[in-house]
Amino acid sequence: MTGISSSATTTFSNAQLDPDSMPAMAALRLTDVSPRYRIVNVSLALCITTLLIAIICTLRFQPFFVLPEPLLLAFPFVLTGIITLGVVWVVYHVLADVRVKYSVREQDLNLQSGLLFQTLACQPILRVQHVEIKRGPLARLAGLASLQVFSAGGALHTFEIPGLPVETAQQLRQFVLDHKVLSAK
Amino acid sequence: MDNEHITDNEAGRSESVDTGVQWQRLSVIAILYFTFSNLKNLAQGLIYVVPALAVTANITDNIHSNGTYIGILVLMLSTSLSGVVSFFMYTFRVHNAHIEIHHGVFSRRFTNLPFWRIQNVKIEHPFYYRPFGYALVVLDTAGSASEEANIVAVPNNYAQALKKQVLAFNAQNTAPEPQENEAQAPVTQDSDETVLNRRSITDLVIHGITNNRVWILLGAAAPFYDDVFSRISGWLASKGLQLNQLVGEQTIAWWQFGLYALIIVMMLMAAIALISVGGALFTFYGYTLSKQDDRYIRRSGLLNKQEVSMRASRIQMITAKQDWLDKVLKRVNLYFEQNVSTQQHGQELMSPNKLIVPSVTETEALALAKEVMPNSCYQRHDYMTISTRFILHWSVVGLAVPFGLFFTVGIITAHLDIVAMSISVCLLLLGVIGLRWWRWGIATDDKYIYVRRGRVGIDYLCFEPYKIQELVIQQSIFMKRRKLASIKFVLASGSVTVPFLPEDYVFSLADKVMHDVESTQRSWM
Repeated sequence: MTGISSSATTTFSNAQLDPDSMPAMAALRLTDVSPRYRIVNVSLALCITTLLIAIICTLRFQPFFVLPEPLLLAFPFVLTGIITLGVVWVVYHVLADVRVKYSVREQDLNLQSGLLFQTLACQPILRVQHVEIKRGPLARLAGLASLQVFSAGGALHTFEIPGLPVETAQQLRQFVLDHKVLSAK
Repeated sequence: MDNEHITDNEAGRSESVDTGVQWQRLSVIAILYFTFSNLKNLAQGLIYVVPALAVTANITDNIHSNGTYIGILVLMLSTSLSGVVSFFMYTFRVHNAHIEIHHGVFSRRFTNLPFWRIQNVKIEHPFYYRPFGYALVVLDTAGSASEEANIVAVPNNYAQALKKQVLAFNAQNTAPEPQENEAQAPVTQDSDETVLNRRSITDLVIHGITNNRVWILLGAAAPFYDDVFSRISGWLASKGLQLNQLVGEQTIAWWQFGLYALIIVMMLMAAIALISVGGALFTFYGYTLSKQDDRYIRRSGLLNKQEVSMRASRIQMITAKQDWLDKVLKRVNLYFEQNVSTQQHGQELMSPNKLIVPSVTETEALALAKEVMPNSCYQRHDYMTISTRFILHWSVVGLAVPFGLFFTVGIITAHLDIVAMSISVCLLLLGVIGLRWWRWGIATDDKYIYVRRGRVGIDYLCFEPYKIQELVIQQSIFMKRRKLASIKFVLASGSVTVPFLPEDYVFSLADKVMHDVESTQRSWM
C-alpha cells in the first residue's frame, strides 16, 4: 500500500493509448479488503440478533406480568422469524464480504462487491468533491475504516470502500487529496 | 430607508451593485413577503394539527366560543407582526464579490456567499411586488438547499444589475477553462438576448391536457375541498341525480347505472383536464426560452413571473419526454437538467435545476436539443435494444411469485374469478414488461450517449460522456453466464441505467467513457 502515496508525486501520464492496450475495467487487478471486515460484520449481526432474541425471551418469560394471549401465541413465530433473518444476515456477510475488492488506478478508484448481483463501480478522481474517512465503534475496535468519496452524483451515489485498515484508508485519502487533477482545479 | 442608497449608487457608478461595507435593509415591501411566507409556513405546519384541533373542538363543543376567536386573532396578529420583526432582523450587503446576509429571528443566521459559488441567479416577481417594481433574488449554489440565499426585496433594476454582475464575474473566472464554443465569447454586459422559443396559449392548453398539471391548482385549493364536494352533490341532486339512491337500491336497471357512472367519470375527466389546463397556464403563461451569451433563460408565469437561468456548460442532460397522449398530438416535453443536489421535492416545475420547455413539436424539440448539444440527434435508428433476458428476468423475479400465489389460491378455493383476475393482471404486466424491453436501448456517436426508454410513452435522454461522475457495471450470476451486464451512468443530474446489454459492449463502452472523462479532464460544470 505504500506505493499509493508515492504515485501521487510521479509525473502525470495518461497518454493516448491504442484501443487494444487501453486500460480495461474487465482486467483490473483487485485487492481484498481487510479480513477483519467480515469478522466485524458477522459479529455485529450475531450481537444484534442475540440481543433481539434476549429481549423477546425476557418479555415472554419474566415473572412480573402476564402477556396478553395473542402475544403469547405469536411468540414462537416471532422467534423463528428473528432467528431466520439473523441466520440469513450472518450467512450473507460470510459469503459476500470476501467478495468486496478494490483497486486504485492512476485516475480512478474501483470497487467490486456483491454476492448475487456483482457490481463494479468506477469513480474517476477528477470528479471527487471531497473525501471522508468513516469509522463506526466496532470498526474502531478492529482498526478498520471506510473511505467515502463524494462526487456531484448525489448522496445516493456515494462511492465507499469499506473495511480498509486505517493506515490504508488514510493513504488512499491522501492519494486522492494530493492528486494532480484535483489540485489543478 | 437605506434602500435609496442602493438606487443612488446604481445611478452613480458602473459597478453599482456593491453596497459597500454598510449593512443594508430591504425595501419596506419585504414585510409583505415575510408575512406571506410566515403565513405559508404556519399553514403548512397547521395542516397536521388541524384534524386534532377540530376533533377536540367538536368534543368540547366550543368551536364558536370566544376562546377560539381570540386564538385565531392572536395567530393572525403574531404572523403579521412576525413579518415586521423578520424585516428588521434581515440585513444584507454586497461587498468584494461576496453577498452577506444576516437573517432569522430566533436562530440568527449569517450567510456569506462568494460570487463564484453562485450557480444560478433567479429573479422572481411575486404578484404583490409587481405594481411597485420590486423583485426577489434567489441565489443558488452547488451545495445543499440550505445554502441557498434569498435577497427578499430589492428594486427591479438593482436585481437585474446584481444578476448581471454575478454572471459576468463567473463568466470571467471560468473563461480560461478550455470550454467549447459559446463559453469562449467574452461576456458583454449589454449583449441582447435571442428568444429561442415561445409557447402560445394553444400550446399551453395542449400541455395542460397531455400532462397532469392538476396538482398546481389542486394543491392551492386543498382547504376548500369539503365545500366543493357538498356543492357538487347538491348540484347533481338538483339535476335529479341522487347519489345516495343510486347505490344500494335496485330501482334502476344496470345499464342506467352504467350510463350514470360513465357520465360522472366523463364529467370528472373533463373537470380534471380543465383544472390541469389552468395549472399549465398558471405556471407557463407567456413562456419564453431565450439565450443570452452562454445562458439559457426561461421566463413564465401568470401571477408570479418566474425566471430561471442556466449556463449551457452546466446542462448535464437533455431529456425529451413523450407520453402516449403526446405521441398522438406529436408533442414533446423537453427538459434541460442541471445538477440535482439542490433539488427540493415537489417543486419540479419551478426548480432551477430543470429547465422545461413544455409541449414543443417534435421538430422544435430536435432543433432545441441540437441548439444545446450541437450535432446531437436522439431520433436515430441505431439504438441497441436490450436482451430479451430482461423480460425473462422480470417475469421470474417480479411476476412468478404473486401470480403463482393468487393462481393456486384461486384453484384451491375454486374461485374462478380470482384465477381469471390473476391471469389477466399477469398478462397486462407482461405486456408492460414487454413494452419496456422494446423501448429500452442505447446508442452512441463520437460525442454523445443516447438512451431511449419508456413503457407506453417514450423518453429520450442525451448526455456527454465526459460529464459522468461515476460509472457502475452490474452483473448477476445469471447474467454473467449469459455474458450480459447492466451499465449505470451517474451524472450530476441523476443516474441513467441501461440493463441487460452484451458484456463486451458494456465493458468497452465503460472503458471508452472513463477514458473520455480522465483524458480530457474537462469540467462537468
